[in-house]
Amino acid sequence: MRTIVTLLVLLSWGAPAMAQSKAGEKEWNALIEAAKKEGKVVVAGSPDPVMRNDIMPKFKERYGIAIELLAGRSSEITARVKTERASGIYSVDVYLAGPDTTAVALYGEKIIDPLRPLLIMPEVADGAKWKLGKIWFADPEERYAVRAFSSVATFLFINTDHVKPEEMRTAKDLLNPKWRGKISAEDPTTTGSGSNAAARFYHDLGEDFVRKLYIEQKTVRTRERRQMSDWLARGTQPICLNCREDDVRPLVKDGFKILEIFELTDMPGSINGSPWMLTMANRAPNPKAAQLFANWILSREGLGIYARGYGSVSLRTDIDETNLNAGNLPKKGVKYFDDTDWNWIVTGRHEYRQKVWQVLKGK
Amino acid sequence: MSTRSTPVEVSGFRFRLRPHRAAELSMLLFFAVAMGLPLLFLVAGSFNLSPPGKAAVYGMGNWLRAFSDNATIEALWMSFLLSAVRLVPAMAIAVLFAWLIARTDMPGGNAIEFFCWLAFFIPDFPLTLAWILLLDPNYGFLNMLARHLPFVDGPLFNPYSFWGIVWVHTSAGGIWFKVILLTPVFRRLGASLEEAARVAGADTLAMLRRVTLPLLAPMILAVAVLSFIRGLQSFNTELLLGTPAGIYVYSTRIYDYIRREPASYGEATALGSIFIVILALMLFFYWRFLSGKRKFTVVTGQGYSIARVKLGKWRSLAFAGCVFYMAVMTVLPLVFLIIGSFMRRYGFFDISSPFTLAHWQNLLSDPIFLVALKNSLIIATITTAGGILLYSAVAYLLVSRRSIAGPALEGLCWLPHVLPGILLGLGILWLFLATPLRFFFYGTVWGIAFALMLSDSPVTTQAFRAGFLQLGSDLEEAARVTGASWWYTYRRILLPLLAPIAGAVGLMNFGGALTSISTPVLLYSHQSRPLAILLLEYSVTGELERGAALGLLITAIICLMMLAGRKLGLRLSGLQ
Repeated sequence: MRTIVTLLVLLSWGAPAMAQSKAGEKEWNALIEAAKKEGKVVVAGSPDPVMRNDIMPKFKERYGIAIELLAGRSSEITARVKTERASGIYSVDVYLAGPDTTAVALYGEKIIDPLRPLLIMPEVADGAKWKLGKIWFADPEERYAVRAFSSVATFLFINTDHVKPEEMRTAKDLLNPKWRGKISAEDPTTTGSGSNAAARFYHDLGEDFVRKLYIEQKTVRTRERRQMSDWLARGTQPICLNCREDDVRPLVKDGFKILEIFELTDMPGSINGSPWMLTMANRAPNPKAAQLFANWILSREGLGIYARGYGSVSLRTDIDETNLNAGNLPKKGVKYFDDTDWNWIVTGRHEYRQKVWQVLKGK
Repeated sequence: MSTRSTPVEVSGFRFRLRPHRAAELSMLLFFAVAMGLPLLFLVAGSFNLSPPGKAAVYGMGNWLRAFSDNATIEALWMSFLLSAVRLVPAMAIAVLFAWLIARTDMPGGNAIEFFCWLAFFIPDFPLTLAWILLLDPNYGFLNMLARHLPFVDGPLFNPYSFWGIVWVHTSAGGIWFKVILLTPVFRRLGASLEEAARVAGADTLAMLRRVTLPLLAPMILAVAVLSFIRGLQSFNTELLLGTPAGIYVYSTRIYDYIRREPASYGEATALGSIFIVILALMLFFYWRFLSGKRKFTVVTGQGYSIARVKLGKWRSLAFAGCVFYMAVMTVLPLVFLIIGSFMRRYGFFDISSPFTLAHWQNLLSDPIFLVALKNSLIIATITTAGGILLYSAVAYLLVSRRSIAGPALEGLCWLPHVLPGILLGLGILWLFLATPLRFFFYGTVWGIAFALMLSDSPVTTQAFRAGFLQLGSDLEEAARVTGASWWYTYRRILLPLLAPIAGAVGLMNFGGALTSISTPVLLYSHQSRPLAILLLEYSVTGELERGAALGLLITAIICLMMLAGRKLGLRLSGLQ
């Protein structure tokens, strides 16, 4: 009798969920059919190898819909899109853009539509599949920009043939005269990861630290990312502030003694939403295909490809993280500085960057 | 072009519009729209202070912001200094090379000319990286070798310096650009005046100084002006070698404004406007020089000799000098570039199994590659053919004594040279979108070809102009007397005489269309993506080795075209 009651209770709970699930499935299948009729989706974003080599063929294989990639630097893509839109041309469906572009250009200039109501794929809409219990919308209205990743960022890289790990415990160790001319950074006098890091230094450690680090320490600047990782490997500049993980990790595989440092005792580690935030263009020319792509890229399959290919920590609960660098996984209970926080991007970082530029101009 | 007039009636007023004038006015109208409008859009945009999509508010804010920064003035001065310092030796070397190739009996001239072309099309970004591998103070190959010398105790070379930048530019495309443009006009120079100088007792040096160079002054000056402005806009080498040494140039400042998020095209245009002022000043002096009483005609109907200067005992030495210069300045970095495309990591010889075919395999198996290759070939062919037809006609009109709109037309033709490529691309994007051109041009290979053709106008027009200036009017007059129409004369007499110049600029434009990134970057679509954009994508994602492989592949395609084009040019001009 108890068993029958239990079954009845379970059925009474499960039936609406099943009905809902069936309705959701029906809606999802209708979306696939409509998207196939449109035949293609135009995605604007970085020309990264993961997109070109894995995402594009996989999406085509899965749904028979081609991804047309409008690839390039964010500033060029947004300039083009704005000019097109001013002339009544709407060519882009989905943006996979960095946080600055998303917050300042796409959201700031109302180029995107709310994405929340469009996420209907059962495994995407299910809050249980997400580490935060729901999809993370990073914009103030929590409707437009999905943040799908949150990885601990590498703070700096050292070549341990030249710098012992114990010599680099605090940010102030960077000011040791021994390292004068031995530190490389992406040029902080222009926008990019170099000035972002400098803004963070200013925010946490103040103007004096920035002056000492970038001027007195004769930090060597460059605008070419590969130059920094080459210098790091060769030991010319064995401390690198802004090397890219995907440039450095092949060097580690080749036996170079390079260590990633994720946090220093006087500066907490930071997390970021790299490689992209997802948004949906308004007046998209292929709205159904765009919606399908947006759902799929947030699915286990889509996000899994990016997480593996890029080495980023996704916010989904069902993606294998054993192959990721342990240092990139956020630790429970640790409070990180969020480098992709909306307010930090729109106001804080912008203000600190201006202050950094004043310091560097003043020399 | 016939001299007969066509009566035209407008609102009862009857006037005669000659075909020559009609052609000139049509050209002026075309260029005013195609080149003037984009510039107008850009300049108007530079005064617009409100963000895109908002109602325009006009003011001087962008201009004040752009020029109020001391760093801008310092960068402008550095650009001037770099451009001026490298112009003098580069012009001297280029003139010497062109003279030796085209006017003397130096052995192997054709091979050296071929090599100049090859050197011109080596992409400058990987070439600069190759120079870093050779000259870096810590690990540079030449510095390592120099350390074995008894009197050397530190690095001899440092590419991250003012002179390092000058050195790399002297090896990169800039110098070969000059040789390529000068060689055909040197070749066109008839020998009769030189022979007369010899009879009058002048030695080779005096003849070069008093006869040859003054006769070729229009082209030499045009090339100098083009090179100087090109030098001011130079960017990649300064970015790689200048930034670590704290050397910032003007084009870097413009780049910063464009790369900002959101991009500040207003400030970038304001900074770019300085090039227009410089161009206007340089053109003023150039026109004054050309409009003087000098004559530059070297090909007339009264006998034409192409005999070469005999170098005697200097023949072998001249050849050896050219070979040595090219070996050091081009072959050495080129070898490193080729090796780099086969390395797992560019320049790292000490890792385990450093060589791989993977970058070439990945390139050739990239699904986008074949489509991009096809697009690039279509774009380059349209650009080349269209450019030769259009700008030879423009140059003909410019040198015509009956021209009334010459300065305006020429000024418009120079405009693309002073606008940084990305700004020109943005201006053309506005032009396409604001006019019915969008239905045919926007996002298509035709649109990209049109934009690239516009960007080719200064070099192509000036090359043809210098060529036409060398041709005597008696050639046309003789043809007319024998009953030939203008078109027949143009096609059968003038163009064959200009075939070497057409071949040179045609190949240059073909190669330029394959390698240009900044102009098409705002105009391409998924279907019309050219190879150069693929190269940009590899560069953005740090795939340097695959980029090097693609750069070499583009150079190889250009080499093939070069061989075919050169053969055709020589056959047409009757020099083979």
